[in-house]
Amino acid sequence: MISNRQQPLSPRLSVYRWHLTMVASLAHRASGLFLIVFMVFYFILLSLMTGAPEQFDLSLSLMHSLYGRVLLWLGFASFVYHFLNGIRFLLLDAGYGESRYAMRLSARMVLAVTLLMAAGAAVALL
Amino acid sequence: MDKMIRLSVFRFDPEAGDKPFMQAFEVPVTKPGMKLLDALNYIKWHIDGTLTYRRSCGEGVCGSDGLNINGVNGLACITEIAGLKQPIHVRPLPSMLVIRDLVVDMDHFFDQYRQIKPWMQTSTPVPEHERLQAPQDRAKLDGQYECILCGCCTTSCPSWWWNGDRFLGPAALLQANRWIVDSRDEATGERFDQLEDAFRLYRCHQIMNCMEACPKQLNPTAAINHIKRSMLKRQS
Repeated sequence: MISNRQQPLSPRLSVYRWHLTMVASLAHRASGLFLIVFMVFYFILLSLMTGAPEQFDLSLSLMHSLYGRVLLWLGFASFVYHFLNGIRFLLLDAGYGESRYAMRLSARMVLAVTLLMAAGAAVALL
Repeated sequence: MDKMIRLSVFRFDPEAGDKPFMQAFEVPVTKPGMKLLDALNYIKWHIDGTLTYRRSCGEGVCGSDGLNINGVNGLACITEIAGLKQPIHVRPLPSMLVIRDLVVDMDHFFDQYRQIKPWMQTSTPVPEHERLQAPQDRAKLDGQYECILCGCCTTSCPSWWWNGDRFLGPAALLQANRWIVDSRDEATGERFDQLEDAFRLYRCHQIMNCMEACPKQLNPTAAINHIKRSMLKRQS
């Protein structure tokens, strides 16, 4: 008999092709995770903006720095994506758009709209 | 037709004790509409007889030759060479214990299939003749019963890669749904009870690799969603 130690696991994530629907699912979880982190940053920002004048100035300089703008842009893109794909997932849960074609199309649409809006936001912010 | 087909094939020999590696092969085009299985057969019969893989019917019915082909799972016997980018990377089904070359251990996969009790369960007395089914009830099985258990979907699922010990995977869940929607089956409640579990059913995150991989164009993701909805309906 061959022991388990000798039997290697066949390659999985490293070789599997990234289908658009897989990207859509992963991006949903990644954007959700990022939004949680972003919330913390957002509340710190809010408390700075409503604090003493020096704190307000600090918040301004934070938001005008490159890091601040990139963070805001990421937050926006994550929010748009998570919102749109969340609706897509809810519709799928409810039984709409369950054909193979519709599943692919809706993933493509959600990703395309997010890219468009993120590009627009990048022009405005960065 | 003297153009050569370039392949890169996953090799593993348990007796040699070496690590798995990719081996390059060149195979001539032997016939129009040549399939990937034809190329593998050519290697085995004319170049290297030690190449090991499963095959049987050769026409997409038995489900023996599920492989990872250029990064996507599919059946070698119905995958046309013409549509594949070369060199064609041929690997065993992902996230499985490799026995030798392209042959993987399917025991766990079939055990998960067994767990959903893939047979008709009834409690009412057996009628004099067969259990009848209305045509519209029979139609509900379309898109569910065609599964050939090749394992292409289950081994394409990242949720199953990480939690395959507890998550049943798309193939078993598609089959579970096949019995849930069957009007003659009388154990629907028990089937729901078995599936009502954070891991067994609810690890599905709608990645839909299963749908993309299925060589029979079925949709396990939709079947899983149908199970979830049916459970909600039962509770309300």
